[in-house]
Amino acid sequence: MVAPPAANPQSRLRPARYWTALTLAVLIVVALVTSSILNYVYLDTISGRTSLYGLLAVALVAFGTFILVRAYNRDPAMRRKNLIRAAVLIGLGVLLWLLIIDVFLFTQSAGPLVAAVCALVCLPTTAFGLVVVRRLDRNHKEPWRLVLVAAAWGAIVATSLVVWGETLWQSTAQHALVPGPGLDTSLAFMAGILEELSKGAAVLLLFLVMRNEFDDVVDGIVYGAAIGLGFNFLESISYMTNVYAIFAPEGFGTAAAAIQWYFRQVLGLFFGHATYTAFIGAGVGIARQLPNMRQKVLAIVAGFVVAIAGHFAWDAWAALFPVDTTVFVIVEIHLRTLILSGPFTAALLALLIFGIRYEGQNLRDQLQKEAATAQGAILPEEVAVLASPWQRLKQRLQALSRQGVRAYFRVSQLQTAQLDLAMERWHRERKEIDTPLEAEQKLRERVIQLRHWVAAA
Amino acid sequence: MSTTYDQLRVLYRTVLLFATVGLVILAIGVIQFAYFEPFGQSTGLTARIVGVHVYNSDSGKVEGPDRSEFPRDVEFAAVVDWSSLPDNVVVDARWYDNFGTVRGQVGPGTPASLADKTIVPVLVPEGYHFILPGRYTLVVERLQQDRAVEVLARRFVRVDR
Repeated sequence: MVAPPAANPQSRLRPARYWTALTLAVLIVVALVTSSILNYVYLDTISGRTSLYGLLAVALVAFGTFILVRAYNRDPAMRRKNLIRAAVLIGLGVLLWLLIIDVFLFTQSAGPLVAAVCALVCLPTTAFGLVVVRRLDRNHKEPWRLVLVAAAWGAIVATSLVVWGETLWQSTAQHALVPGPGLDTSLAFMAGILEELSKGAAVLLLFLVMRNEFDDVVDGIVYGAAIGLGFNFLESISYMTNVYAIFAPEGFGTAAAAIQWYFRQVLGLFFGHATYTAFIGAGVGIARQLPNMRQKVLAIVAGFVVAIAGHFAWDAWAALFPVDTTVFVIVEIHLRTLILSGPFTAALLALLIFGIRYEGQNLRDQLQKEAATAQGAILPEEVAVLASPWQRLKQRLQALSRQGVRAYFRVSQLQTAQLDLAMERWHRERKEIDTPLEAEQKLRERVIQLRHWVAAA
Repeated sequence: MSTTYDQLRVLYRTVLLFATVGLVILAIGVIQFAYFEPFGQSTGLTARIVGVHVYNSDSGKVEGPDRSEFPRDVEFAAVVDWSSLPDNVVVDARWYDNFGTVRGQVGPGTPASLADKTIVPVLVPEGYHFILPGRYTLVVERLQQDRAVEVLARRFVRVDR
């Protein structure tokens, strides 16, 4: 049997990419283990123990992610089995991590019940954030499994990675600098650099390992924002339980935790970590389509620089914004977020809107080209519908009203498969993928099969 | 294809432009840090913190041994020996809480003018019943033009929850 030709037979990028991903993963694991041991030996605090015992949870999530990735790259017959294994491992990892946090970090201060309540109230807002972020990609939504993996990495791996670095930086700065604005500036640099690097590592890994699901700037923004939301989820729980423990004896622990929840899970849900890490994703997403290595590196570095700068600006200058104790405090706090973080979110939205338009125009172009081949996967009259998110929704709703929920989902599956085909064609035309041409033919066959199902329904 | 590349180039240049703005922000941060943490300010002077003790707010005196950990319902204060410093400098002593807020202060003034103010208590925040838990930092600072430029002594104390 002759192997079908690859889109870019000259591509030697795939093995190199996997080696880079492996090196990055090994570095992250070494950093985590070293960090945890150092925390335990030198810090002698509750967080040190959390960090050490949390390694098992991190290992479970990492192993689960590995199996998840394998599930989509290997024999489809094994897919279901591998997906279940991955889901169990990642689920156990998340539960274990939350348990460890409850027991070691918060039990002595706020108690496990408070930690559980904080986690529960943060879940709906974070889930809402993830739904919104995933829906940002109007043309080609990312699979839930990867969006959730991204969020889990942000919550568990990225937060673990920064513990030692931040502790060391903070301790050194507090022993060496004059308390006040100088120290605050140093700590703002610490948060910006270390937290964005740790979150950005997850974006890079996704890009290197799952490039078939990492199409362009829009995908990068979605994955980056999902990682940011995951990080924000755990950070919110940490801050809420901490302030609860501090203010509970004064009689307003619940109010203090609720205020933190509002700041981090409502007001700052999309303005903070989600925006910063989405910039890293945008840089990586742009790099994915650039032709030469120098430009790729520059785009990725640029994404990191914007993310670090945005994070730094908030941490360094939020305290300088005048917030008094009158009734205007509510307005002032919202204005502060809008003025300091708003420009970054607006700039990101500009990239996103431009990216969606760019993606949409190219998909329409590929849909037209595929229709012109007359192979039956995309019909000429379908191009206008498939190219418009609203027209697609209208078509699905029509199926829903005529034939019920099953028809809605079948039409949805057909539209997704057709857009997958257009996306594959786009990347192949630009020589951005190294999967064989057979993959494109399989997508075409799948579309035709789904069309039969829809017609038969 | 050329249109596609142009659009990608716009995205690429936009992210580079944003990164340039980011670099300006980070550069402002470096300048801000250098302003508040100026180089070459070390005089080699060292202040002496005698200890941190339980503080009796009624008598205004300290009692008991030197400690580094207190429960939140016990008031405490540091004792600073100003005589270890020359009289040609302006100094103060401040307690900072976990949030970086000043929770007690003596000075600023010359060491001679502060000679009878050796006790630096931590104050319970207004409207609160107890001292807030967390790590407290006592610093004896040298000031120049009303700005702290050098830490002459430092001590950390933990307040339990």
